[in-house]
Amino acid sequence: MRVGGNAPAIRRIAGRALALAAGFVLSLAAHAADPIKIGLVAALSGPSAQSGEAITQGLSIAIGEINAAGGVLGRPLVLVRRDDESSPPKGATAARELIFGEKVAAIVGGLDTPVSLAIVPIINREHVPYMGVWAAGTPITRNGATPNFAFRVSAVDVMVDEALLKYAQKKYGAKKPGLILINNPWGESNEKGLREAAQKLGITLAGVEKFENADVDVVPQLTRLRNAGADALILVANAAPGAQMMKSRERMGWKVPVVSHWGVSGGRFPELVGPTAGDVVFVQTYSFFGEQGPIGQKVLSELKSKYKIAGPEGVFSPVGVADAYDAMHLLALAIAKAGTTEGDAVRKALQDIGEYKGLIKTYDKPFSETNHDALGPDDYIFVHYEGERLVPVK
Amino acid sequence: MDLFASALITGFGLGSMYGLLALGFYVTYAVSSTVNFAQGSTMMLGAVTGFTFGATLGWPWLLAVVLALAACMLWGVIVERLGVRPFAARGSDLWLMATVALGLVLENAVLFTFGKDPRGMPQSFLTGDALSAGGLRISVLQLTIPVVGVLLAVALHLYTRRTRSGTAMLAIVQNPDAARLMGIDVRRAVVGAYALSGLFAGVAGLLIAPLFTVSSSMGTLFGIKAFAVAILGGIGNPWGVMLAGLLYGSAESLITAAFGSTYTQILTFGLVIVALALRPEGLFGRAGVKKV
Amino acid sequence: MSRRGLTLVIGLCALAAVASWFGNGYQQYVIALVAITAIVGIGLNVLLGLAGQLSLGHVGFYAIGAYTSAILTLRFAWSFWLALPLAGVFAALAGALLAVPALRVRGPYLAMVTIAFGFVVEQSAAEMKGLTGGWNGIMDIPRPVLLGVTLNEFGLGVLSLALVALLSLLFARLRDSTWGLAMRATRDAEVASQSIGLNLVAIRTVAFVASAFLAGIAGALFAALSNFISPESFPFFQSISFLLVVLIGGAGTLLGPLAGAVVVVLLPEMLAFLAEYRLLFFGALLLLVLWLAPEGIVGAIERRLRRTDARAARPAEREVGAWLAGRGAAQSLEVEGLGIAFGGTRAVREVALTARAGEVTSIIGPNGAGKTTLLNLIGGFYRPDQGAIRLDGAALPAGVVWRVARSGVARTFQTTQLFPRMTVLENVLIALRQGRLGGVGPALAGRSRDDHAGRLAEGLLAFVGYAGPIERLAGALPHVDRRLVEIARALAMQPRVLMLDEPAAGLDDDDTTRLAALLQRIRSMGIVVMLIEHDMDLVMGISDQIVVLDAGRRIIAGTPGAVRVDPGVRAAYLGEGSLAIERASPRASAPAAETVLSVSNVTASYGNLPVLAGIDLEVRRGELVALLGANGAGKSTLMRAIAGLHRPVQGRVLLLGREIGLFRAHQIARAGVTLVPEGRQVFPELTVVENILLGALALDRRSALAEVERLIARFPLLGRLRNQRAGLLSGGEQQILALARGLAARPSIVLLDEPSLGLAPAIVGGLYQVLEELRAEGTTILLVDQMARLALSIADRAYVIRSGQVVQQGSGEALRHDAALEKAYLG
Repeated sequence: MRVGGNAPAIRRIAGRALALAAGFVLSLAAHAADPIKIGLVAALSGPSAQSGEAITQGLSIAIGEINAAGGVLGRPLVLVRRDDESSPPKGATAARELIFGEKVAAIVGGLDTPVSLAIVPIINREHVPYMGVWAAGTPITRNGATPNFAFRVSAVDVMVDEALLKYAQKKYGAKKPGLILINNPWGESNEKGLREAAQKLGITLAGVEKFENADVDVVPQLTRLRNAGADALILVANAAPGAQMMKSRERMGWKVPVVSHWGVSGGRFPELVGPTAGDVVFVQTYSFFGEQGPIGQKVLSELKSKYKIAGPEGVFSPVGVADAYDAMHLLALAIAKAGTTEGDAVRKALQDIGEYKGLIKTYDKPFSETNHDALGPDDYIFVHYEGERLVPVK
Repeated sequence: MDLFASALITGFGLGSMYGLLALGFYVTYAVSSTVNFAQGSTMMLGAVTGFTFGATLGWPWLLAVVLALAACMLWGVIVERLGVRPFAARGSDLWLMATVALGLVLENAVLFTFGKDPRGMPQSFLTGDALSAGGLRISVLQLTIPVVGVLLAVALHLYTRRTRSGTAMLAIVQNPDAARLMGIDVRRAVVGAYALSGLFAGVAGLLIAPLFTVSSSMGTLFGIKAFAVAILGGIGNPWGVMLAGLLYGSAESLITAAFGSTYTQILTFGLVIVALALRPEGLFGRAGVKKV
Repeated sequence: MSRRGLTLVIGLCALAAVASWFGNGYQQYVIALVAITAIVGIGLNVLLGLAGQLSLGHVGFYAIGAYTSAILTLRFAWSFWLALPLAGVFAALAGALLAVPALRVRGPYLAMVTIAFGFVVEQSAAEMKGLTGGWNGIMDIPRPVLLGVTLNEFGLGVLSLALVALLSLLFARLRDSTWGLAMRATRDAEVASQSIGLNLVAIRTVAFVASAFLAGIAGALFAALSNFISPESFPFFQSISFLLVVLIGGAGTLLGPLAGAVVVVLLPEMLAFLAEYRLLFFGALLLLVLWLAPEGIVGAIERRLRRTDARAARPAEREVGAWLAGRGAAQSLEVEGLGIAFGGTRAVREVALTARAGEVTSIIGPNGAGKTTLLNLIGGFYRPDQGAIRLDGAALPAGVVWRVARSGVARTFQTTQLFPRMTVLENVLIALRQGRLGGVGPALAGRSRDDHAGRLAEGLLAFVGYAGPIERLAGALPHVDRRLVEIARALAMQPRVLMLDEPAAGLDDDDTTRLAALLQRIRSMGIVVMLIEHDMDLVMGISDQIVVLDAGRRIIAGTPGAVRVDPGVRAAYLGEGSLAIERASPRASAPAAETVLSVSNVTASYGNLPVLAGIDLEVRRGELVALLGANGAGKSTLMRAIAGLHRPVQGRVLLLGREIGLFRAHQIARAGVTLVPEGRQVFPELTVVENILLGALALDRRSALAEVERLIARFPLLGRLRNQRAGLLSGGEQQILALARGLAARPSIVLLDEPSLGLAPAIVGGLYQVLEELRAEGTTILLVDQMARLALSIADRAYVIRSGQVVQQGSGEALRHDAALEKAYLG
C-alpha cells in the first residue's frame, strides 16, 4: 500500500465493474464447474482496514494453492469480500447478503468481535459454517447453540489472558500488575478474562485503566496505575493506540515491564513507538521471522511475489495472514471430505478432520463436537521487537 | 498532586490541539456562517501529505510541510466550491451534509492511496525532551503546540487588526453589505477563509502527527471535539476558541485523572450540553441583538 | 395531495410486503431495515420538516428504544408488544429532557447539543455493563410472537411496513392539524408565530418528544430484527444517515422519509460488491444527489406536480362580524411614560398615548423616530425599561409576545411576515386558534379540523378583500395580497387592539383606497386600531388621532387638522424653519457638462413587490442632485440598485459612459461609485481610522494612509476620535465617519442615503454645512433625504419620485416652493 504502489482506485474499480459484468454474462452459461464461493466479512475500510487486507492475503494465497491443485470437488474456489466498516449491523447485513444472495459455502470473519457476535446467530440459523480467523472474543465459538456452526483458527481471549498474567508473574515476578486496555469490545472482553484469570492465579490487580483509539496522551491513566503500585502492565490494544500508550510510558520515564496481547503486531509497531518498542513482550500464534518450515517459506515467497512485500518485516499482521491461510485450507479439506457444500455436512466434516500439516502447526483433530477452537495455549509464543524484526523471547 | 499536575500539562497540550483545529471553524464561520463539518479530515490530509512528501518520498521537510499546507488550503477551496457555495447561495443548510460527504470521499480516497496501516512520523528533535516537570518529561513538540496555537490566535488577531485585508475580513463579519460597498469581494473572502481554515487544520495535523499516528481515520474524533470547542468558545473570537480548547482539554485529562477514563467522554460531552444550556451563545460568545 | 400521497405510501408498503414474501432472507432483512429507517425518518420529519429543528443525535433515541426493548424482552421476559410502546415512551422522555437545552440554542449550537447527546448515549450504553452488556452488547434478543407465530425477517418487515403506512397517515393528520400548523408556523416565521399567540417552547417540545418516540419505536423493531445490539450499532454516523433520510427524501413531505430510507439503506447495499470502495462511491453519489435535488427527491417532484386549487374565499359577512365582536370590545389602550434604550441610544423615551376603541390612532414621524419600537414594546417583543402599557386598565404581560397576543393584541409587520410555506387558508386557520391548540390526541385522530373554522377563515379572507386562491402558498403571493392576508391573519386573533405597521407601503393608489375602506370597517367594529404609516393621504384621511414621534419622543398628539399645521411637525418632516444653511462661497468651478451617472429606464422589485418602475435620472460632474419622495417611493432602492446591492435590475446604469448595471457591488465600488448607506453602517468594532482605511481599500497602503490624514484634517471632529471604536460614536459622529469613509476611495460620485436620519437638528445643521462645503469643492453627490426642504436648500437640481417613477424634476430653488412636493410628503 505504498504511495504509487497501488494502481489508481478508479481504474481498479472500472476493472472490477467490467469483471462483474463479464461474470454476469458468464453465469448465464454456467455449468457444473460453478465456483464454490467463500465469503469474507471484515473491515476493509476505516481504521482497521489493515486487518481485512491481511486476511485477504492469507485467504487468497491458500485459494490460489487450492485452485492450482484443481480446486475442491472439481470446482474452483472464489473469494467474495464484503466491507463491514467495523459495524455490527453492517456486518450482519453483509453476512445475510453473502448467504442468501451470493450463496456462499462458508463465511470467514474479521477483526471485530462484536461484528462476529452479530453474525454468529445468523449463520447458526441458516446453517452456514463460519470461520473466525482474528476476533478472539470467547463467546464467538462458545455461543451455546446446537448445532454450532462457528469455528475459529485464532487465539481465544480467556486462554491468552491467562497466559499473559502467568508470563508476567513468572518472567518479571509481577505481584501487582496493572491493566491498560483499549476502550472497545475487545478490551472489555479481555478485562473480564484477565480479572477471572487473576482470581484463578491469586494475583491482585493494581488497577484497570481504559484508553481510546484516538487518545494522543495516556499519561493520566498510566499515572493512576503507577500511583496504585503497578509492577507490570498488561496491554490490550492494537498497534496504533498501543504505540500511544508506550510513548506516554516513555515520557513518564517509567521502566515498568509490558506484556501485551497480540494486537500490537498488526501494523508498524516499531515505527510508531520508536526506541522503546522492544520493551513490549507479546503473544503471537505465528512469526514469519526466524527459520521457516516449507509451508512458511512457500507462503512468504507468495507474499513477496503477489503483494510486493520485501520480507517478514513487511507483513504487518502476521497472525491475520497465518490464521486465514490455515483456516482456508481446513475449510477446503472439510468441503472435500463432506463431498458437498451443504452446511451441516461441512460442519460435521470440520469436526472430523484428522491430521493436517499447516503453517502454524500440524493440526491433529483441530475441531471436535465440543471444541471449535483449533488453537490453544500451547500454540502461543511470546515475542518482542528487535529493530523491525519480531524475535521470540526465551 | 503529581497526578493532577501531569494531567494539567497533558490537558493543555491536547486542548491547544483542539483549539488550533477549532480556529479553522472560527474563520469560515466568521465570514460565511458555514463550516467544513469534516474539518477533521482536512487535518488528516495535512498529516498524510506531510508524511508522504517528507518521510516516504524523502523530500526536504521544509518543502514537505509547505506542500502539505498548500494541499490543505487547496482542499479548503474545493470544499467551499463543491460543498458549501452551491447550498449556502440558496440559503440551504445542506452544506452540512455536503461537507460530511466530501470528508467521507477524502478519507476513503486517502485510504487507498496512502495505505491502510497507520504510520509513525520519524523521530526528530521535535519529539526529544525539552524539560521535565513533576516527573513528566515534556517533548519539544508538546511545548510547541500550545505556543503555535497561541501564536496563530495572536497572528489571527494581528492580521485582522493590523492588515487591511484582515480588517476587511472583520468588516465582512460586522456588515457584509457595507463591506461590499468598500469594494471588498465578499465571495473571494469566503474562499480565502476556507483556504485559511484548511491551513489551520493542516498545521494542526502536522503538529499532532509526530505525537500521534498518521492514518486516514486519525481526524474524525478530533474534528468532532474541535467542533465542540469552537461552539463552546462561541465561534465569535479567536481568543474564546483557543481558551475553550484549553478548558476542554484540561477537563478531559482532569476527569480521567480523577475518575479513570471510563466516564471521560460521557462527562465531557455532558458538560458541553450543560454549558450550552446555561450559555446558549457559548462560554465566550456574545448575544446578538434581538431583531424584529 | 395528501390523500394521493397516502394512497401511494400504502401502495408502496403493500408492494414491498409482497416483494418481501417472494424474497430471500437477505432481501427480507433489507426491506425491514428500510421500513424501520423510514419510521425514524417520519419522526425526524416531524422535528425537522414541520418544526424546523435540526437533530444530529437521533441515534441516541434509537439506541434508547433498542436497549429498552432488548432488556425488557430478554432480561425481564416481557412481551415484545408491551416493550415496544415502552421503548417509545423511554425515548420520548429522553426527548423531553433534551428539549430543555436544545430549545435554548440554535443553528450550529443546536447541532452540537444533539451531537453531544448521541455520544453520551453511546458511551453510557458501553459503560452500564450490568444493564446493557457493555461493549459486547446484548445477544439473542427474542423475536416477537404474534398469534403463536414467531415473526422473522418477513414478519418484522411486514409489521414495520404496516407501521410506516399507519405513521404516514398520522403524519398527514398531524401536518394538517392545529399542532402541525403551529409547528410549521414556528418553522416559517418565529416572530410572527409568537405574535399569533403560539408558545414556541411548548410546540417545539412536543415536536422533540414525538420525534424521539418514533425513533424509540424504530429502535425496538431494530433490536428484534437484528437479534443483537451493541454500542457500535449506534455510531455518530448513523445520526447523519437519519438526517440524510429526511433531507434526501424531502423535509416536510409525506413520502420523503420513505424515499430517503430507500436511498440511504438500499444504495450502500447495491454498492456492496465494491467491497472497500463502497464508502468512497457512496460519498460521491451522495454529493450528486444533494446537488441535483437540494429540496429532496419528493420535494422536487411535488414542486413540479403542485397544482393550486383556484377556489377563492367564500364571503361570510355575518359570521365574521359576530366573530370580531365576540370577544367584547375594549375601551382603550393606554401607554404611560414608556421608554427603552439600546446600547446608548434611547429609542423611545417617556411616550404616553391613549388609543380608544372605534378610533384609528396613527403614529407618524420621520424615519428612526421610534415608531416601530413603540409597537414592539406594546406587542411584548421588547421589555420596556420604564413605563406601563395597559389594556382597559389591566397591565399587559411585559416582554412575553405570545401572552400579549392571547390577551387580544394583534399586529402586522413592516415587511410582511406570513408563513411562506403554508397556504393562505392555513395562515388564517392557525391564527383562529389564538394559541389554543387543543390536545395532540384529537389532532392525530383527524378530528381537529372543524368546518366552522374553515368557513370563518374564508370569511375573514373575503372580508379583507383577498380575492386570490385560498390554497396558494403564502410565499408565492403578490405583495398586495400579502398585506391583506396578514391583516386577515391578525383579525383571526379576534383582537381588541390591531396594530398595523406601514400597511400601505408598496401599494398603489387604488389598493390604498381599498385599504383605507377596510381600516374604517375594522374601526367600526369597536377595535382599537393603531397605524404606523408614511402615506400621508391615508393617515390624514382616516385617522381620528395622530401621535407624532421624533427622536423617540412624542412631540404632539391631536387631530389630523391640528397636526398638519404644527410647526414642529413641519420641521421634523420637511426640515424647514430653524435650520439655515449658509450658502458657501460660489463653487470652485461651474458644473461641467460631463455626465457622471446616468440611469435610464431602471426597474427593480423586492420579490413580487415592484419598487422601481422605469426611473430616469442624470448627475453631472460637480453637481449635487437631490432625490426626493415619500418613504416607500423607491429612493433607497434606487441607491442600492446603483451601488449593486440590489439585484437584479433591469435598464441601464452608466458610470462615465460605462455600463455598470451588471457589476457586483464590490466592482461598482472599485469603479468609483460610493454609497454612504442609510443608517451609516459603520463597522462598529473597528476604530475610526480602520473604518476610513477600509474605504480607501482600492489605494495602495501609503496613499491610503495619506488619504486618512487628509480626511481627518478635513473633518477635525474625527481627529480626536481616531482610535475610538466606531460603535461608540454618536449618531452625528458616525455619519461624518461614514461620509469620510465614502470619500476615502476618491470616488467619481458619492451616493448619500438619508444622512440626517435620526440626528438631532443641531447636528443635522452641521452635517449639511459639511455637504454644502463638499459641493462647493466640486464633489459630485446624489443625495436622498427625508428632510426635503433642507436637501433642496443645497441641491443644484432635484428629482421627485413617487411609486418608483420620477414625477417631477427641476432646480433645487424651483422645487423648494412647489406644492406638489409638500403633497408627496404630507398628503
